[in-house]
Amino acid sequence: MERIRLNNVLPNVFATRTDISSEIWKSEVTFERNQLYLVEASSGTGKSSMCSYIIGYRHDYSGRICFDEEDVRAFSTSRWTHLRQRSLSHVFQELRLFPELTALENVLIKNQLTGFKSREDILRWFEAFGIPDKADQKVGKMSFGQQQRVAMMRALVQPFDFLLVDEPISHLDDANSQIMADIMMEEAHQQGAGVIVTSIGKHMSIPYDRILHL
Amino acid sequence: MHLVWKLLRQHVSIGQLVGFFFANLLGMLIVLLSIQFYQDVKPAFSQEDSFIKNDYLIVSKSISMVGGLTGQSTSFSEAEIADIEAQPFSKGVGCFTATQYHVYASVGVSGGQGMSTDMFFESVPADFIDLKSDAWRFSEEEGIVPIILPRSYLAIYNFGFAPSQSLPKITEDVAGMVKMRIVMRGNGQEAVVSGRVVGFTNRINTILAPEEFIRWSNARFAPNEDASPTRLIVRVANPADEHIMEYFSEQGYEIADDKLDAGKTMFFLRIVSAIVMAIGLLISLLSFYILMLSIYLLVQKNTQKLQNLLLIGYSPMSVCLPYQLLTLGMNALVLLIAILLLSLVRSYYLDMLWSVFPEMEGGGLLPSVLIGLSLFLVVGIINVLAIRSKVMKIWKNKE
Repeated sequence: MERIRLNNVLPNVFATRTDISSEIWKSEVTFERNQLYLVEASSGTGKSSMCSYIIGYRHDYSGRICFDEEDVRAFSTSRWTHLRQRSLSHVFQELRLFPELTALENVLIKNQLTGFKSREDILRWFEAFGIPDKADQKVGKMSFGQQQRVAMMRALVQPFDFLLVDEPISHLDDANSQIMADIMMEEAHQQGAGVIVTSIGKHMSIPYDRILHL
Repeated sequence: MHLVWKLLRQHVSIGQLVGFFFANLLGMLIVLLSIQFYQDVKPAFSQEDSFIKNDYLIVSKSISMVGGLTGQSTSFSEAEIADIEAQPFSKGVGCFTATQYHVYASVGVSGGQGMSTDMFFESVPADFIDLKSDAWRFSEEEGIVPIILPRSYLAIYNFGFAPSQSLPKITEDVAGMVKMRIVMRGNGQEAVVSGRVVGFTNRINTILAPEEFIRWSNARFAPNEDASPTRLIVRVANPADEHIMEYFSEQGYEIADDKLDAGKTMFFLRIVSAIVMAIGLLISLLSFYILMLSIYLLVQKNTQKLQNLLLIGYSPMSVCLPYQLLTLGMNALVLLIAILLLSLVRSYYLDMLWSVFPEMEGGGLLPSVLIGLSLFLVVGIINVLAIRSKVMKIWKNKE
């Protein structure tokens, strides 16, 4: 997949609002591969809705979202499954980890689907992220900041053309968010992928190609 | 896959599954048992009578107390026989001819004197007996009389006489090998012939011998006796024809209704089997309902996990699979154990049935196993589809 295009998209809940001034809603936006985007937003402006629309989880919007000129509304279940395994990766704001599994298992459960990284690669990330001792700990017992790093690792154990990262560093200090940004960008560059980061204030210090206001 | 299962087995209620397991096992066992029992017992009641065809009726005059006292004849006159022959439903009438002299028969057991009794023979025309002509034949030189006995005699022997005398039970085949010594006396003469049982019948309550034997022996031992028949055998086009009943009841004749008795028994057997099967099905249905509720509850409780799995790229099919395998496995286990229990219970009741119907041939397990398998398939398919639709609802974000 080369590009994601949002054409006149508006969440249904905003349909009656007339005061929308956004560079995404009711506009024409194209996200390209190999580009790094920051979507800045205030809370309640539909940042997570945008991610849900792109990932195919929700369809409560008007307008068109196209992957390479194909309207995603027409995509079949198996097409979405394939996209989520091979083309689109997402770090959810609410993380969507499995608290019953250990941190390592949370990453492996995705990796066994894609077979993208080796167990050693993943364990090296745990060290790089500064949580090597947490690999075998249940995610439910970890702090939110630690969980954010596990969620990032899970998003990186797959091939992707686009990586959607929804408020990834809200609970990280500057040093740790820099580490996360470095690892993320290294993977994205290797794959030539486009990265879309959202933020409601604090964001990673990386050279964004384009900053959009929601 | 084990990580997915590790996730999705959360909230699996062992109690509910055990409850389902036993309820379904009970239901399945009752269904299979009712079918199997019906299959096994059916041949005993619907046994085809190979000697006397179904389109033959046995007709006699009713015996009333007054008639008995006044000596009113229960035999048919030639005019009466001709009248029956003239009826449109009648395709032929044969007379029962009885021996008119003294007959004494004995059966030797292990060389010694076993049972002995006074008896008699009757015959019907040979073309009413469906037996190969050389088996249903008497010649004076050979001195062997083929005999057809009522099947009830065998039952009387097997359940009344044999147990009380510690004698072995005999089957129809064994009975065919027993030789009878028949002594005939009359007209100042005596002769001895051998008797051999060639078959049993439910249709005629008499001891049948070939017509030629009766004619020969009556001529020799009771030349002057009149042998007007008390029973007739009538061949009809359609035994269910209502005109037959009308005619015979108008004339005050009776039709032997042993066939009807077996029919009634079959009818009740069928009804009882159907009721038992319905109860079994109901229990199965309820247990299936428990399983579905349990699985629905499980999916409900794990909705978040299923949703997350779908969002990170698992296909609906792959997240359905653990639950589908769980229910299919449970149902298959139930079927397997039900069939095992069925064959156990069956071997127990077959022993009892064999002592009642020694010549009974079991129907085999196949029909009930097939029914069990089809039940399993139907339930399995519904389970698989229900789980799939539940997961698809989660996929579509409607749960």
